[in-house]
Amino acid sequence: MSGRWQWFHRLGSPKWFYEKTTRWLPWLVGAMALFLTVGVAWALLFLPPDYQQGHTSRILVVHVAVAGTSLSFFPLMAAAGTVTLVWRIKLADMVAKHAAPLGAWFTFLTLASGSIWGSVMWGTWWEWTDSRLVSMLFQLFLLLGVISLRTAIENAETAARACALLSIVGCINVVIIKYSVDWWNTLHQPSSPISMEVGNPNGPEFWVATLVMIVAVYLFLAVSLILATRNEILERENNAQWVRELVAQAR
Amino acid sequence: MMKPHRRKRLGAILFVAFGLSVAVTLTLFALSQNINMFYSPTQVANGEVESGTLFRIGGMVKDGSVEQQQDSLAVNFVTTDFVHDVAIEYEGILPDLFREGQGIVAEGRLDALGVFQASRVLAKHDENYMSPEVRAALEQAGANPENHQFRATPED
Amino acid sequence: MIDGIQFNSLGEFLAMGGYAFNVWSVYALFAIFLTANLALPLRKRRLILRDQKRRLAALDAREESARDPADSAGWEVSMAGDEK
Repeated sequence: MSGRWQWFHRLGSPKWFYEKTTRWLPWLVGAMALFLTVGVAWALLFLPPDYQQGHTSRILVVHVAVAGTSLSFFPLMAAAGTVTLVWRIKLADMVAKHAAPLGAWFTFLTLASGSIWGSVMWGTWWEWTDSRLVSMLFQLFLLLGVISLRTAIENAETAARACALLSIVGCINVVIIKYSVDWWNTLHQPSSPISMEVGNPNGPEFWVATLVMIVAVYLFLAVSLILATRNEILERENNAQWVRELVAQAR
Repeated sequence: MMKPHRRKRLGAILFVAFGLSVAVTLTLFALSQNINMFYSPTQVANGEVESGTLFRIGGMVKDGSVEQQQDSLAVNFVTTDFVHDVAIEYEGILPDLFREGQGIVAEGRLDALGVFQASRVLAKHDENYMSPEVRAALEQAGANPENHQFRATPED
Repeated sequence: MIDGIQFNSLGEFLAMGGYAFNVWSVYALFAIFLTANLALPLRKRRLILRDQKRRLAALDAREESARDPADSAGWEVSMAGDEK
């Protein structure tokens, strides 16, 4: 193994990942709790109501944060999938495997919260002709497809490669979701240009709460995905000496 | 450096991803008008929609155009993209966001008189969020904070 | 930037200007979403560690008895002794 790529392979060692995340987790959990508390309190109590939608603006803080974060799953799975296909590093596939169900949760919450908002603001729960709504639903189906592909293919290595390919292809849909509101006319509003001045449309009194929530949701993604990946490591590496020692020490 | 077999695999992945992206882009470009949710009043005035077909129209509710019937849920209003207007008749419950100066999407058919008989009316929210105080202050200053997403240019 | 709390009473807060169902159901779903995706992996970790511990104990016992067959009788006695 030539020196230049050595760090890359060490990064892919399950033991290295497990030990590093043991140290990182308390900090990540602490930061997540802090940002979630501030984000939710701000959104529910301090965010001003919107002049048109009243207090339903509080829904959008959660909706925008979760929706934006849900778009990062396919790029993440595609990156991990590329590493799986090219370098055959096991850790990348473990991360990809657990990203899919978490991404499905994110996408479902995006659709549900948007629907609950739309039912009163737009006057409809769902529109099949809106490209933003339909492309987001398609992302949910793609993620469910990745999950079932993994269970359908018996050979673990073949399953990993098939999922990797589908994840790479699925990235195209992320671009479509993102730009659907600009390329075509939709019922869904386009993304807001933010303003730095208080008292302007889309001023900080609106978007700072959303920004805090976005950070909180990303931290939550990291914590949940790390916890699931660590479980996978404990299961797959159960015969390694370091895992045996760890199990013996556990209460 | 990267080993040759790995470089080959990476190349194959990039090639497939690139090819698919091009294919999808071309397909979406070809389907563009079908993916649009609604027609603008200008498109309707230009005869882009065949009479009698069910379609959706999107525009602003023209200021001062809303006429609510006293004894029923029937309502008449005009939707506009500031170049062309289309009159709309509707009977039913309107969404909370429906008001003059607000974007709407209506589904229905044009009748013989060129009036749009709507079976459904949805309200569209624009991308501007602000508190009632900010909105009032802006209005007092004479600024129009609303983003006219439905404004057509006369050349359209 | 923060104008303070936007509600004058708890009742007003719960009512959400008439959108109580919409606002609170989204926040309830958000809470379920957060809790589920932290609690489920943590629960699974406990199960994995428990199962692995049992598996390792069984493995150790088998190795022990394989190494010294004469001892296996004594092991059974001690198990019986534990039960009272």
